[in-house]
Amino acid sequence: MINGRGIKVIVSMIGLDSHTTGAEVVVTLLRDAGFEVVYLGVNQTPAMIVNAAIEEDVDVVGISSHASNFALIEELMSLVRQNGLADVAVVCGGNIPPNQIGKLAALGVTKVFPPGTPGDAIVEYMAGQGRRT
Amino acid sequence: MKYTTDYGYEIKPVYGPRDVEDLEYERDLGDPGRFPYTRGYHENGYRNRMWTRRMTAGLGSSSDANKVLKKYREMGQTGGICVIHDRVSSSCIDADHPRARLENGVLGWPGSSLLEFEELMEDIPLTGQSITLLGCCAPSSLRLAYVVALAEKRGVDLREVHGSVTESPFSNVFGQTDVQPFDLNMKLFLDTAEYVVRNEIRMRSGVIGQHFQESGGNNAQVLAIELSMLKEICGRLVNQRGLDFDDAMRVPYQLVSIGSRFFEEIAKVRALRRMWARMAREHFGAKKEKSCQLLIAVHTSGRTMTYQQPLNNVVRCGIQTLAGAMVGCTAVDNATLDNAYAEPSALAARMSLNTQHIVAVETGVADVVDPLAGSYFVERLTNEVEAAAYRILEEIDARGGLVAAIEKGHIQAMLKEEANIKFREMNNKERLVVGVNHLAIPPEEELFEIPIQESGASDSEAIAKRMADWKKSRDMGPIEASVQRLYADARKGDRFNLMPAIIGAVKAYGTAGEIIGVIRLARGLKYDPFDMIQCPFQLN
Repeated sequence: MINGRGIKVIVSMIGLDSHTTGAEVVVTLLRDAGFEVVYLGVNQTPAMIVNAAIEEDVDVVGISSHASNFALIEELMSLVRQNGLADVAVVCGGNIPPNQIGKLAALGVTKVFPPGTPGDAIVEYMAGQGRRT
Repeated sequence: MKYTTDYGYEIKPVYGPRDVEDLEYERDLGDPGRFPYTRGYHENGYRNRMWTRRMTAGLGSSSDANKVLKKYREMGQTGGICVIHDRVSSSCIDADHPRARLENGVLGWPGSSLLEFEELMEDIPLTGQSITLLGCCAPSSLRLAYVVALAEKRGVDLREVHGSVTESPFSNVFGQTDVQPFDLNMKLFLDTAEYVVRNEIRMRSGVIGQHFQESGGNNAQVLAIELSMLKEICGRLVNQRGLDFDDAMRVPYQLVSIGSRFFEEIAKVRALRRMWARMAREHFGAKKEKSCQLLIAVHTSGRTMTYQQPLNNVVRCGIQTLAGAMVGCTAVDNATLDNAYAEPSALAARMSLNTQHIVAVETGVADVVDPLAGSYFVERLTNEVEAAAYRILEEIDARGGLVAAIEKGHIQAMLKEEANIKFREMNNKERLVVGVNHLAIPPEEELFEIPIQESGASDSEAIAKRMADWKKSRDMGPIEASVQRLYADARKGDRFNLMPAIIGAVKAYGTAGEIIGVIRLARGLKYDPFDMIQCPFQLN
């Protein structure tokens, strides 16, 4: 069985979105699979998330998104670049339409998990993102 | 495949008379219009009045939302409108707040001032249809003020306006969060409810069980939560605000979610009517029959709308609407085929409204009241979900009621555990969802590309800029005077009703950020929930 031992992940809400169920289910999923998870919770700005990623020295940043525009994720990606975090995988999950997935990928988002993604697919992908292995 | 309900009752392959041998018709069901109202409140059902068929609107600017409402009217939405706030105005900050810049008009209507409400309602009547506005508790005190102010401006008798614009303080506790503290929300809710009752306004307040279920809660839990919310709210209106219970019961309506487990959802709503009727009579000593009749509106389940093969959602929506219609509700607003993608496109909205119209006029299910009554299976399921809910309700009562149980984190823990169970069941294929964990297809075989309702960051910026410019153009004298009064009133203690002062500030074109900010200051909180901006007024 795949496990996430030694891999550190931030899971965060972004902006004012307060639909926390998806993020919290993923937190449980990852912790059960052995990942070290830092859950930032709600009301996080892109800057707060990037600062946390630096301070916590994480391998992956996971963003839960339930919004109708993706400007905050765009801002997050530009801060990721400015702070030299190119080796940190940024993944997004949530109600993200197919036409947006390509746009987010072009900004450097490494993976988008739409609703209905099996837990195994998330664990497997995250397990491959360790910077220290 | 599991043959159990989501609250763990094992379903048998067949049901017969012995499954309902304890059922006494008069005691447990009663004819429609008779206590305990299991079968509904109207002896003629929908023949007197069809349920209100509506869609939730709100995306982009207030003018954008106004256009959508007009379009929905053309699509046969004549019984009532339903609009939801964006996250910015739900949080009671203004569009020009630094945290709002990229999120104005996202997932809702940027309703943080009377100006926005006037634009939303342009050429839309306040009467002759129900006015429903959704999105958090604290801003709902402003929504009530908007209605009062606009009715006055238009010369409409306020008592002719009906619908629901306020929300209970439990709105954003389950699976969602709120930047305003719970005690402030509770205070503002009680103020709005008391104001509505004492001024004989026909506006109700949403007590939203839907969020609990949509965040993963099971049917028995959601019933227990719905009843304990009502118990807390009505108890406070009676004990803290001195209202008669029968008057207090003019306030709440329950918004329930209906998913695809057809019979279980129907059983849940029938049980809710019966459980409430008994609580109203036995616990609260209801004197009026009307107080035993909990008004119930339905939102078909957004969480069941799949990202994969979205056209399948039309079928799911149809099944859920059929359940809502057969169980006898006051209003339905539907999820849409593009629910997992974005706010509804015109196509998706039309499909969802047409789904309701088809169920209403083509199927005949609306011709007969509670057509499933007497079904061995449905009656047994109604009894089972009721019994399971009573057990949870007793646990909540034993913890000192819902507010105490929330403060101790018990309800959140219960919901979180249930959400994880639901996810595992999907993952393990114990519950099948077509196109997701059953008969899935690769993305390239998705043959129909649905239209996506887009909203861009520039729309949010434009709303922010308009707010900033407009704020500077306002006549500040009346605003200053009204917020001084509000500040003074807000320091007079929790039972002093702030609605008159809020209405005064709203009429003067004070904003949500300003009005709730001043109330926060009076309560010893920071003006801005994010502590980024300062109060612009000199308060004394």
